[in-house]
Amino acid sequence: MHFRDYILFSNIRSFEIALGIMPPSESQGSNKTYLLPLVAKGDEAAMKKCIDSYGSLVWSIVCRRINERVDAEEACQEIFTEVWRIASRFNSKVSKESTFIGMIARRRSIDWQRKQNRLPALSTLESLPELSSSNAQSIHSLDRNEIWEKLRTLPEDTLTLFSLHFEKGMTHEEISKETDIALGTVKTKLRRGLIEARKLLKEFSDGKGVSL
Amino acid sequence: MSKENTLNRFDELDAGRILGDLTSNETSEWQLLARDNENSNYIDLELLATELELQFTQPCDLSSSLSNKLADTIPAFSNKNKQKSATQIISILPWLGWATAACLLVLFNIPESSIPSAVPELTYAQKLDSLTKEAPETQRLAFSPASDPYNNISGEVIWNDERQEGYMSLVNLPVNDPTQSQYQLWIVDPERDELPVDGGVFDISSGSETAVIPIRNALKVFKPVAFVITLEQPGGVVKSKQEIVVALAKS
Repeated sequence: MHFRDYILFSNIRSFEIALGIMPPSESQGSNKTYLLPLVAKGDEAAMKKCIDSYGSLVWSIVCRRINERVDAEEACQEIFTEVWRIASRFNSKVSKESTFIGMIARRRSIDWQRKQNRLPALSTLESLPELSSSNAQSIHSLDRNEIWEKLRTLPEDTLTLFSLHFEKGMTHEEISKETDIALGTVKTKLRRGLIEARKLLKEFSDGKGVSL
Repeated sequence: MSKENTLNRFDELDAGRILGDLTSNETSEWQLLARDNENSNYIDLELLATELELQFTQPCDLSSSLSNKLADTIPAFSNKNKQKSATQIISILPWLGWATAACLLVLFNIPESSIPSAVPELTYAQKLDSLTKEAPETQRLAFSPASDPYNNISGEVIWNDERQEGYMSLVNLPVNDPTQSQYQLWIVDPERDELPVDGGVFDISSGSETAVIPIRNALKVFKPVAFVITLEQPGGVVKSKQEIVVALAKS
């Protein structure tokens, strides 16, 4: 089955839950009460709710990249420590809470993976974009179905690589072995695919329409 | 390099940062470009990558032990200065009773035999026996070897859904060196999840032909259909690659 078929027909449940980028309990209503602003004020009960609501999401992200249980648990603790530390940077106009927390979890677990390969950590880089900043055409403002509808117009090989990387959590090396595509090409195609996806979504959000 | 080329190069490197594939040289280059690039403050690309990943992320329940660990850390978050001492208090607590008893022994030279002993803890073998007798609905499955070096293994697994309690009785499982590898149990419960649940890491020490090992399921299981023992790296793993499958018990 091709990746685009997968998106279209067989992932309805995660469609509902995730690109919505929120656990089932996370409401999309405009009058939603956010936990992170309360966490930012040092509200311990809100932090507990935050762990209850997003712990399973963080754990899933961590487990995609870190296989050793002890390390995965440690990473999970680090992630929530960081959530506590930088909760004040959450901006509901830029992202959903689950996206904000998911982004921290991604950064941390990718760093953990890189540490294993003796590569410099990325989440400690100077000039790292703030989690509260975004262009006006933030993808947050787009409806999730519209996002995926537009991404379906990406080239099929890009969608396949996206599937292997984002869905199956495969490393570039693993993708290269699986697809028989040179490692450098996998890397380049994934990077450019991500940039292309952003471009598509921006054009779409600007109402320009896209012709590929 | 023209401004457009610089922006394109920055975008590509930033995508690499987000995908986690920057080399050391590229990391330095990214830093250099990020300082001058006014677009470097935006995180739209990273938001997109996160959303793409979350699209395919099925939340996976935290084990109760990790959940408790995280919850226990909250008070430490709220006052960083107290973090160290709080951690120390937590780690010392389990030993406090023993330490006090030891001090009393030393100070007052009380003969050990005169200290009233606690209610003796049942051995795992006794607990297994008790579970079998007290809970008739307990499931019993025989282990069979799953690969060559483990052909002599036998034994059974005893599991009770309601109590969420179980034990393995294992015969002829080779002794392992915990610094090199450890056994790990996996519980297959399709009603719960397609991924097996971690049933705990354990060792087999020398001197025992039959070992009784308690099952330490990280998550609640509802209707297990199989129990699989694998050999993993020390500490166990989150997801087994099942490179060395030792034994299997299935209904």
